[in-house]
Amino acid sequence: MRFALQRLAYAVLVLFLASVVTFFSMRVTPGDVTASIVNVATTPPEVVEKLKEQLGLNLPIWQQYWNYLTGMVTGHLGVSLVTKLPVTTLIANSASYTVILAISAFFVAFGLGVPIGVIAALNRGGWFDRVALAVASFFLAIPNFVLALVAVLVLGLQLRWLPVSGSTSWKNLILPALILAAEPCALTVRVGRTAVLEQLSADYIRTLWARGIRQVRIHWIHVLRNSLSPIISLGSIQVRTLLGYTLIIEVIFRWPGLGTQLVNSILHRDYPVAQALALLLAAVVIISSALTDLVYRWADPRVRLSGSEAA
Amino acid sequence: MASTPRSGMVRINPWILVALAVYAVAGLTGIVVLLSPTMNNRMTDTDLTSTFLHPLSPGHPLGTDSLGRDLMWRLLGGLGVSICVGVGVALISIVLGLALGVFGGFFGRTASFATGLVVDVTWAFPAILLAIVFAGWLGPGLPAVVLALALTGWASFAVIVRGEMLSLRERDFIAAARVLGVSRLKISLTHLLVSLFPVTMVVSVFFVSTSIVAESGLSFLGLGAQPPTPSLGVILAEGRDYLSQSWWPVILAGALLTGLVLLLNALADNVRDRFDPRSRRLQ
Repeated sequence: MRFALQRLAYAVLVLFLASVVTFFSMRVTPGDVTASIVNVATTPPEVVEKLKEQLGLNLPIWQQYWNYLTGMVTGHLGVSLVTKLPVTTLIANSASYTVILAISAFFVAFGLGVPIGVIAALNRGGWFDRVALAVASFFLAIPNFVLALVAVLVLGLQLRWLPVSGSTSWKNLILPALILAAEPCALTVRVGRTAVLEQLSADYIRTLWARGIRQVRIHWIHVLRNSLSPIISLGSIQVRTLLGYTLIIEVIFRWPGLGTQLVNSILHRDYPVAQALALLLAAVVIISSALTDLVYRWADPRVRLSGSEAA
Repeated sequence: MASTPRSGMVRINPWILVALAVYAVAGLTGIVVLLSPTMNNRMTDTDLTSTFLHPLSPGHPLGTDSLGRDLMWRLLGGLGVSICVGVGVALISIVLGLALGVFGGFFGRTASFATGLVVDVTWAFPAILLAIVFAGWLGPGLPAVVLALALTGWASFAVIVRGEMLSLRERDFIAAARVLGVSRLKISLTHLLVSLFPVTMVVSVFFVSTSIVAESGLSFLGLGAQPPTPSLGVILAEGRDYLSQSWWPVILAGALLTGLVLLLNALADNVRDRFDPRSRRLQ
């Protein structure tokens, strides 16, 4: 419990620093914010000044930061400079798309990756093992936007099996989710396989055999549970890479999620939206990393014991 | 899979090195042509009378794109750009990661905590965001991409270095050096850096491959190399718009990129097996 509180406090500290970085990195970028709303060259200076005042840009920078921070905490995220919609509305509209896509990909990656990795390890050197490793190497090497383009070309344009863009039916979800899952799945296969192999050579396995425990039980209960910690820590790293990839995959498949919003807002210099989304993504990463540490302690008692001495 | 010679060391698979050498020669050719003022028009000259030529067309061995530009020269240039970005990012990330990792691992708990904090804040941001910020400062283009990737990439290496440091610190030979009165800075610069050599090799190869993918991804989104610079990401993005008329720009650029990453990953695995007998046993 004490560990959980400490971890939470640390997460808040990281989040605070992340908000400072987001805010100031957007502000030091040259190019006036007002220039993305009006044409500065042709608009009278009074109007530009008025606009700056409305946006709070004439205040001292630390005061702007304070307003931004209190806005974030209280849920007043400002208004999009381009669409004039409140940022909260934009996020609410697109968040569910990203969550559905990411969760589907996450389940495909682990739901396929863990069993394949375990079976490969149990048949070490056999044909299944070799094929699984070769396929995994391929999916680790092919960048997912290349995979996406090939899938669009073959499954969408040539065979016409699946729709290649939009978000109108569940069929639209299949391609982006599978492609997003490809690389994490391949990584899970490899890490899971290695973890299981390491466990299989451990002494306690012989003990279980000697006690007459059935093979299926040894492999899928004892070995699997002890192989979980590398897979869990992999999961936490995956959240970060998955979010990064989501940006590209959403753009390719015109999936109206947070990634599409972020890329558009950045390309259009829509600062309120970009700042809010960047901080939101950062918060997801920070929280998931804190959760991973907690799950890690639950799954691996050794971490729990060594952690309490050190902390 | 890995052949184990009598010396006990895993040899690097020579075919991987040969294939990478071919890639390197092609990339260097691309860079030379790209930088030469008299020859780089081969990559950028448009010819609207010969658009979408198939591969193996006369004069254009790999065909042409939607603007009639020769695809072979554009791919060579793109490969050159990829290799420059990959090596550049790897160098900067390794130097930054080593410096902060050694600092965090060997200079007490406060230093360790501070390094961890900087790493966690860095990790919270997608590289895409930094790429925008640097694009704002330096103008969109490859320098902004290299900086953004290096400034996010170092963190994972710093974590590895710090971890190695924390375990090395407890070893007897380091304790012996301390007892003999060798300063902390000297210990970290001599003994510890040498011990870190194997992991640095593996991570460098890994950095080259991930930054090549990241560069083409950012360029694909329009946040990296700007047309007409022939980055593989730009070729893929332009090819995507004409996918129904011509499949070859996307397939060729994609295959080139995937092949390079496949080779670099195989090299990284090989180097790791060479230095870490434990991982070899589990192959």
